Parts: sequence; structure tokens; C-alpha cells
Amino acid sequence: MRAWARLLALDLRRLTRSAGTAAAIILLLVLGVYVAWRAGRNVEAAQTSSTAAETAYDDQLDFLLSVYPPATDAGEVLYYLAFPAPQPPLAVSSLARGRAAVETESLRIRLLALEGQLYEHETVNPRLAAAGYLDLAFLLIALLPLFIIAVSYDLVSGEREGGTWNLVRLFAPPRRLLVAKLASRAVLVGAVAAVVMAAGALMAGVGLDGRAGWMFALVALHTVFWFALCLGVAMGNRSSTANAMILAGIWVVLTILAPAALSLANSVLHPVPEALELTVQQRQGYHEAWDLPPSATMASFYRDYPEWSDQEVPEDVFTWGWYYAMNHRGDQAARDASRAYREVLRQRDAWARRWSVFAPPLATQLALDRLARTDLMAQLDYQDAVRRFHERLKDHFFPHFFATTPIDAVVWDDVPTFEPAAPADSAARAGFPAAIVLILGSGLALGVGARRARP
Amino acid sequence: MRNLPESLRNTLLIARRQFGAIRQDGTVLFLLGLVVALGLVAVLGARHHETNEAGQRARYQGIVDQQWVDQPERHPHRVIHYGFLVFRDQAPLEFVDPGISDYTGTSIFLEGHRQNTANFGEARHSTGTSRFGRLTPASVLALLLPLLVVVAGFAAVSAEREGGTLGVLLTQGATPAQILAGKVLATGAVGALATLPVALAVAVTAGPGLDSAASAMRLGTLAAIYGIYLAGWVLVTVLVSAVRTSSRSALAQLLALWVVICVAAPRVAASVAGALYPLPSRAELTAQVEAALNEVGDSHRPDDPFFRSLREEYLERYQVDAVEDLPVNWRGVLSRESESLTSRVFEDHRQELVEGHLRQNGVMAWAGLLSPYLAARDLSMGIAGSGPEAMEAFLAQAEAHRYTIIQRLNELHIHEIRNENDRAQRLAREHWGQFPVFGTEPPPLDGMLANRPLSLAALGLWIGLPLTGLGLARRRLALIGTERSS
Repeated sequence: MRAWARLLALDLRRLTRSAGTAAAIILLLVLGVYVAWRAGRNVEAAQTSSTAAETAYDDQLDFLLSVYPPATDAGEVLYYLAFPAPQPPLAVSSLARGRAAVETESLRIRLLALEGQLYEHETVNPRLAAAGYLDLAFLLIALLPLFIIAVSYDLVSGEREGGTWNLVRLFAPPRRLLVAKLASRAVLVGAVAAVVMAAGALMAGVGLDGRAGWMFALVALHTVFWFALCLGVAMGNRSSTANAMILAGIWVVLTILAPAALSLANSVLHPVPEALELTVQQRQGYHEAWDLPPSATMASFYRDYPEWSDQEVPEDVFTWGWYYAMNHRGDQAARDASRAYREVLRQRDAWARRWSVFAPPLATQLALDRLARTDLMAQLDYQDAVRRFHERLKDHFFPHFFATTPIDAVVWDDVPTFEPAAPADSAARAGFPAAIVLILGSGLALGVGARRARP
Repeated sequence: MRNLPESLRNTLLIARRQFGAIRQDGTVLFLLGLVVALGLVAVLGARHHETNEAGQRARYQGIVDQQWVDQPERHPHRVIHYGFLVFRDQAPLEFVDPGISDYTGTSIFLEGHRQNTANFGEARHSTGTSRFGRLTPASVLALLLPLLVVVAGFAAVSAEREGGTLGVLLTQGATPAQILAGKVLATGAVGALATLPVALAVAVTAGPGLDSAASAMRLGTLAAIYGIYLAGWVLVTVLVSAVRTSSRSALAQLLALWVVICVAAPRVAASVAGALYPLPSRAELTAQVEAALNEVGDSHRPDDPFFRSLREEYLERYQVDAVEDLPVNWRGVLSRESESLTSRVFEDHRQELVEGHLRQNGVMAWAGLLSPYLAARDLSMGIAGSGPEAMEAFLAQAEAHRYTIIQRLNELHIHEIRNENDRAQRLAREHWGQFPVFGTEPPPLDGMLANRPLSLAALGLWIGLPLTGLGLARRRLALIGTERSS
């Protein structure tokens, strides 16, 4: 046992003495701390953004109530008032950003047609977004494997080429030696990963709940997967340069090529004309109503809200009930296109997820985004929550429109507030498939490697 | 070959020898095939995607234009709210390098009283797989081809040294410069072999759309940029191979360099740019705009101070006692003035955001000096017409179009609609056909290069530095030769 520990310590020292390895460790740690700091900033920014939406609503309401005479129709003031729908930020969202940089989850919506208001995005600079996002997930899923490759591609071949293999074999069985070398590398990589993850969790204020636990477990499994791959390749009878090329090639294919090719295929296979369709439909559906008699608009409104079908609006004068019913008509017109749009996005997501099983790093990435609630589905869930909120606001205010309530008779404290989207699936369901892919992938890599290694 | 001067002959002989060695190398051949295949798939896929997108946008633009003309008799203020939808035309060579277009909106709804954002960029419809972007001809050329060059050339000099043949070459009369030049030629030939089919495919697929000399110019410039960028990789590869003691360490160093330049640096630069110059979030920005609009006043509100003074001014100018007696339509005047005020508020805030983007883009331009990949992509998206300035031009032109149309409708309101019973009046349908049609003008090519001095300088350095390095390595190579032969 002691001999084993000495072997391990010796190998660790030999590893860290190499200038390249030391530089890589320092680079990873510096990047890791920077990324962790950014994660903390992201949490703050999300908080600021959601507070801004709330404050802006309060300010706007105060302002409107102060400048409009108390007898003004509620419908008129509500034309200007946007209600906040801030999704409380999750701390883990700052570790795997997914689409979080592009999307906003602090929308504010008016009682007007909703489809025109749902698709506002974050004030992101497209030039930066196109360069790619640097977050903890990127560091651990994309960059860390390169470090693993760098320290283990010549696990056996390095000794063989250096002429030391036969020498050391004299004193220890090759298997124990291999295990010792592998263990020292695992200690090193594990330490770097642990420091980076701890820094991220600390600075972003991530509590150890199921989501965070699954995320860290997946990162650990993903690290094991790369070790298995490296070992599988290193066991072969090839030269160090051949090993390096093979492993770098595998990394490029799994980390860059497969996702890029899947993205291209996905956009070709699942085009989204519905995005434009729903914009056109909503605008036309609403504006056409101005050229129709109010009774026609109200008839289609009552189809969706039979509970108000006894409320009549006059044909010859403008009423707010009619106005907001016309807006509803816009959403009605866009409804099919909007459903189809979400359906295509779901197809895209399911398709990408299905094919990602062939690229374990990608499967891990997608699972991390889902656990962090920064994926496409989280965005759709958020939009659905905003839809429900809009409905509840309509339920609340339409009686006021029909009764032409003045603003001083509205109890503003009773206005419904946004109910955030709940995660659609449990942490285990989000993380489990990727874990299976990683375990199977590791087994496959080791199995193929071991078979090849046999003379 | 016999009639050539000796130095050139030696160089070509070395190149032929190296090329022969590469031809024996299964890995390089496999990679060459893979890169070419991916390049072709990227060209076809990107072209398909682009055609599809262009078709969709043209179709919906057609529908929207028709809907505009087909409007029934309407009150002009109604039409101000009806508004107009515009779609961004695709850039001349967007399929080669989509640049930032995936992250910018493709359509904007232009209406009165508001400035909407451009919605529905491709990134909004993408899953987490788009982290490394889509597979595009630009990503094959800038990201993958350097890897092929590295694999083809990392052992170019080091293998000769390891095999002991370097000394033999030197004693047989080849100078170090000729050896290095020959290695560069052979490695470059592999790069060219992979680039040419992709470039050809781009030219052929772009061909039908190339109606003007300007587009041909764009293609030519694009080819030059990628040519220089890849030549830099060839030089760096041979340089590292010449100075490292073993092929193994040369390969490791080159791969590390590729990761830093092509994978890590762009993201680190973008992250730092965002940290140095943070932008207000959408929620903060809309709150700011809202507060500013409340300051400006609202023509719909009865007792707004600005509009009260405007009213007095008009009553005095036309010598009447009530706005109803004005010879022009008072509501129309209010709407016009209010539009001019609110547009300024929207434009000011948008400009602030644009300035924030420009500051961040400045960081990216400086980062290009450290990562030639960033510099090459920056130039490439500029030339392809999918860079930031093209998107900004679209937004600015859309805003100008919005303002023109809205104010024209307000003028119609002022002059064609009587004060009494204002809202019941309608304008004849003939009016709708007389409005200007929206069209984007892509920014000209020459401005694109002039706007990117740092990226051009970075590419210059990318060639210049390794050339200097090779000049220095030449001496060391000669030294090794004498050591061996002595």
C-alpha cells in the first residue's frame, strides 16, 4: 500500500513538473475563478432585471394614476400599463447559461394582444453572442477534456518511446503501474474540476439541491468518460503522436463537429416559417376588427369566453371592452401559427436530444442546460406561464371594461401577480439519460480499447 | 525541373519529398477527405438554409406589402397603428459566413408611438446544440482547416531531425531556407487541396446570385482573407515543427495553440467585453424608455404641458379661439408632434445601446490581435455582409422608414381629415399604393475593410511573426546541421 502511494506521489510530481501541464493547470484555474465570478455577476444581473420589471410597473402605475383624472376609464390607463412577469432567477442558471444570455425572463406585458409581446429578447450584443458563451459548463465540458487528453494521451506510449516501459515493468506489474499513473492524473484533474466547481457554486450562491447535485454528478461522469476514452486509446500499441491525433480528433468531432452538424441538420429539417406567420396573422386579425362591426368581434370573443356572452357592447360608440376583444381577436388569429411554432421548437429540441446520445459531451451539455433551466423548453415553459398570467389579467379586468369602471374604483392591490413557471420535469428525469449515455460511452471506450490492447 | 535555378529546384524537391511523405500518411488523407466532405455539406446545407429563409421572408414580405395596398378605406391614424412589417434581406454571402445574423432579428414591426425590437433570429429557434454555431463554410475554413494543416505539417521538420535525415539534406547542399520553404510549400499544398473544392463549391452555388461585379469582388476578397489566414497557420505549423525537439511536442504545442486561438480566445474575449462594458437588460431599458416618455408628455393626455403650449401656438398662428376651428386637423398635428418627440426618445436609447455594442466590439477587435481566428472571422463577416454594421444599417433603415411612413400618415391626417367628426372619416384606398416600399441597402464593401484596421493588422502579424520566426529558426537549423555533421 505504501509503495502504491509512493508511486502515486512520484507520478504526480513528475506530471506537475512539466511546464506545459503547469501552464494548463494555472490557465484552467484562472479561467475557472473568472467564470465563477461572472456567474455571480449573472445572478445579480438577473435579479436586477427582475426588480427593474417590478419597479417599472409600480412607477408607471403611480405615474398614470397621478396624471389621469380619477374618472378615466380603467381601459384607457391599462392601455399604457405593462404588468411584470419576472421569473425568479435560479442560481444554477448562471453555471450553464444555455440560452439565458439571449432570452429575457423579465418580460412586461400589456393587456393588448399577447403574441406581439411574447418574443422580445434580451439586449444582447449579437457580435458577442455569435462568438460563443463562456460559462462553467463550457469550461468543464469543452476545455477540461483537452486537459485530460494532454496528460493522458501518452500514458503507455510515452514510457515505451522513452525506453522506460520495460524498465519499470521489472519492478511493478504493468496493470498496477497503469492504475497508479491513471490515479495520479485523476487526482490532478479532479482537484482542478473540484476547485472550479466549488468556486462557481460559492460565487453564484448555488445551494446543494437536486438540480445542482445532478449537474455536478454529470460533470464528474463526463470527466470519467474522457478518462475512459483516453485510457481506451492509450492502451493501444500506437505512437504518442498517433494517440494525440486520435484523441484530439475525437474531441473535435464530439465537442464541435457533432453539435454544429446537428444544428445545421435541425434547421434544415425543421424550418420555422410559423414565427413569421404568427406575426402576420396576429396583426391582421386585430386590425381587420376595426373594419368590422363590433358584434362580429364580440361573437368570436364569446366563443373563447362564454361566461361573458351576456355582456353586450354598443355598435356605434367606442368601448374598451370591444377594444380589448379586438386585441384578443389578434391572438385568436395567430393561435394556430403560434401552436405550430411551439410544436416545431419542441420537435427541434426532441430531435437534438435524441441524436445527442451519439455525442456524450453534447448530451451532457443539453442535460446541464435543462437542469439549469436555460434550455429551449424552459423558455417555452416561461412563455406558457406568461400566457397564463395574461389570461388571469384578462379574467380580472374584462368585467371592469364591461362595467366601464373608472380607475379610482379599481383595487390595484388585487391585481393578479405573475406565477412563475415550474420546472416541467424533475432533476432526475433531466439528468438521468445523459448519465446513462456517459456510463455506456465510458464502458464502450474501455471495452474497445481493451480488446485492441490484447496482442 | 532541371532548368530551374538551384535554390528553387531544391525547394521544390524538398516540397515533393514532404508531399510524398504526406501522401503515405493515412491520417492526413482521411482528415483531408473529411474536411472536404464537411466543407461540401456545409456549403450545400447553408445554401439550402439560406434559400429557404430567403423564400420565406420574400413570401411574407409579399403578403405584408399586398395587405398594405389592399387595406380598405381607413382613417390615417388607424393605419399608423396598423403599421408595417419589414423583413431583413439576406446578406450577399450570408450562406458562406452567417456572421452575427443568427443572433439578430429577421423581422421588425414598424408602428406609430413605438419602436419595436427586431424579433425572431435563428438563435431564438435553436437548441443547445448551437453552442458552437451551425456548420457553415466559414466555420469549416476558419476552424477545421487549421487542424488539417497542423496534422499535415507538425512533423515536417521534426521528423527529419528525429530520423536523422535533416543532416543528410543539409550536407547534400540544401540550405535551411530551402528546406523550410519546401516544407511550407508542401504543407500549404495540403491546405490548398482542402480549400479549393470548398471554395469552388461556394463559387458555384453563389454563382446564380452573382449578378454584379460587386458580389464577385466580395467572393474574391473573402478568398484572399481565408488564404492569408490559412497561410499563417501553415507558417506557424512549420515554425513550431522546426523549433521543437520532437514531433510529439510539436503536435501537442500546435494543438494547444489551436485550442487557445480558435476555441478559447473568442469566448474569453466576448465574456471580457461583456464584463467591461455591461449593457442594461431589456427590462431596465424599457423602464428607462418609459420614464423618458413620461417626461416628454403624451398627446393623448388632456392636460399635458407641452401639448398645451403647442395648442396656444397654433391658436395664435391661425387666429382662432378653438382647435376645432383650425384649418388643419388638430389631432393630426398632435400626433405628428408627439411622434417626433417620442421617436427621439426611442432613437436616443437605441443609440446608447448601439454605442454599448460598439464599445464591446472594440474589445473584440483588439482581441483579434491575440486570436487571428477572431480577426479572420471579423473580416469575413464584414465582407459577407453579415457583420454588425450590416445589422445596424438594417435597424437604422427600418427606423427611418417607420418615421417616414408614420409622419406621412400624420400629414394625411392633418390635411385630408376635417376636425369635426374626425374619427368617422376615412381615406380612399388609392392612398395606400403611394407609400414607399422598404428595401435594405447592404453597406458597401470598401467601407468594411477600412472599418477593420485592427483585424487587418492582426492578419498581417499572423503572417509576419511566423515568417520572422522562420528566419530565426533557419539559423538554428543550420547549427543543428553542423552539429550532426561534425
